[in-house]
Amino acid sequence: MSASLDKGVRVLKEMIDAPIASYFNSCVHCGLCAEACLFYTESGDPKYTPIHKLEPMRRIYEQEYTLLGRLAKWTGLSKPVTDDELEQWKELVYNSCTMCGRCSLVCPVGNDIVYMVRKFREGMAVSGHAPEGIVGATQRTIQIGSPMGVRLPAVQAQVKHVEAEIGMNIPMDAEGAEYMVLLSSMEIINFPEYLSAIARIMRQAGKTWTLCSTAFEATNSGIQIGVSDLAKVIVSRIVEGAERLKVKTVISPECGHAYTALRWEGANLIGRPYGFKVQHILEVLDEFRAAGLIRTEGFEEGRLTFHDPCQLVRRGGVFEQPRNLMKMLAKDFVEMPDAGKMNWCCGGGGGASAIEEGAELRLVAFKRKKSQLEATGAQTLVTACANCRIVLEEGLEHYQMDIPVVGLTETIAEHLVEDRQA
Amino acid sequence: MSIKNDSEFKAALIRLEPGRQRRAAARFVERVLDLSGDVRVRAAVEAAQRGDMPEAEREVLYQAANTARVESFTQCGREADWAAQAGHFVAKAAVSCVKSPMSGESLAWDAAMHARMARTCQSVAQGVGTETREAEIQYGILDELLKT
Repeated sequence: MSASLDKGVRVLKEMIDAPIASYFNSCVHCGLCAEACLFYTESGDPKYTPIHKLEPMRRIYEQEYTLLGRLAKWTGLSKPVTDDELEQWKELVYNSCTMCGRCSLVCPVGNDIVYMVRKFREGMAVSGHAPEGIVGATQRTIQIGSPMGVRLPAVQAQVKHVEAEIGMNIPMDAEGAEYMVLLSSMEIINFPEYLSAIARIMRQAGKTWTLCSTAFEATNSGIQIGVSDLAKVIVSRIVEGAERLKVKTVISPECGHAYTALRWEGANLIGRPYGFKVQHILEVLDEFRAAGLIRTEGFEEGRLTFHDPCQLVRRGGVFEQPRNLMKMLAKDFVEMPDAGKMNWCCGGGGGASAIEEGAELRLVAFKRKKSQLEATGAQTLVTACANCRIVLEEGLEHYQMDIPVVGLTETIAEHLVEDRQA
Repeated sequence: MSIKNDSEFKAALIRLEPGRQRRAAARFVERVLDLSGDVRVRAAVEAAQRGDMPEAEREVLYQAANTARVESFTQCGREADWAAQAGHFVAKAAVSCVKSPMSGESLAWDAAMHARMARTCQSVAQGVGTETREAEIQYGILDELLKT
């Protein structure tokens, strides 16, 4: 056994906590999780059955923590987990799992398979079986503070560009502001319109806000690769920045995993409650709408539909807010089949889109989104996650579907009464 | 120079009829075209310079430029290559040159903003600071165009 495998197996043993032990014991092999996974439904390959993706971990559980498993290991009836096997499982636990949570939701005995995948990834990372793309992102996070290598000067450059475009100042490190706005790397690199939209919306809502020079980045690759210590460092950076600036609320951007990391897992990772509130940008915008703080005019042309990012709707419960906001923009809004908590993933979450060798499989999985979209006849696809947005664009391009994909926040900003009158 | 700021610049661009908007957009993108090596992007900009392309040709050029835009996105988790990202924004600007205008949109304004973003990415890539004179140069281009 190699040193890294030894370490990985040791980590996996440590990862098997009471919930995981009970999940393995409770599984009734019904196969419902397979039908919930778009990698299985679109490829038809049974190896993509979610619970099967955890098979090496299950064997370790049996061999280490059950009497029969120990006997089987001792007599050689149950083989130890090998490096080759984990290498083979890399595709199953990273490329073909976006941690979308659909399998967890349908499991009749309540097994949280995503939780198990997260724990399995911890062992995979330690044993050296995480995909290169995600390892690179993690290294950049450790060295630079951003999985995509975004440094403060790049953010400042974007700030300057946006300031010139909209003729407003973008506050940086403003102490005592009501809101601290985080950006995902994707928004900094690909979608400067998000920052521009935030500035215009905050102006109309009359709210004070700021970016933080030491914590502008929301993306948490520690969650994606499955390294809790790293996830904790990233969350701590944000907590430090928010508490130093004494903000009331930190706004998670249009990024699914950033929201999960900060809103649902962050306080547990750092071991104490935050001194501020965390909201997704859509939650904030819906509060502004309900309070009459944002006024829009005009509607988008044609039929619109909304793609629910998995981490928002299924793992985060943010369902009503985007629909309330869509009513401000669309006369003709139509839901996709299975919209809401049962929505199908774009195919690129959970770090999957960073894995080059998984590109072909992602396009196979995209067939589900394609059929969902075809059922609506939508002419514009709105979403609220920068990663979903690019994965959707690539899928649509591949299948030659000419449907523009736009972010909800920026679309609202385009309809602000104030802007139209300017 | 008569145009002095972005408000005047935007207002002047919105007043242009679509053919002239395309020509203005193409002039803005032409300045940053060397940041993209994609022939689909170049073809879109060159056609937009003529301003009067037939609808079928526009549609083909739009599809090709849009493919170039999608292919040049930086994926989530990949290392940012700001020089390549400059090329992405040039592609985005080229799409504006040949897209079908929707109500409330200004093709030329969008192209100008994407071209400026391409220049900003170039300055990040070169590590030479973020001051660019792209806006002032665009005002000058529009002034010239309005005189013709």
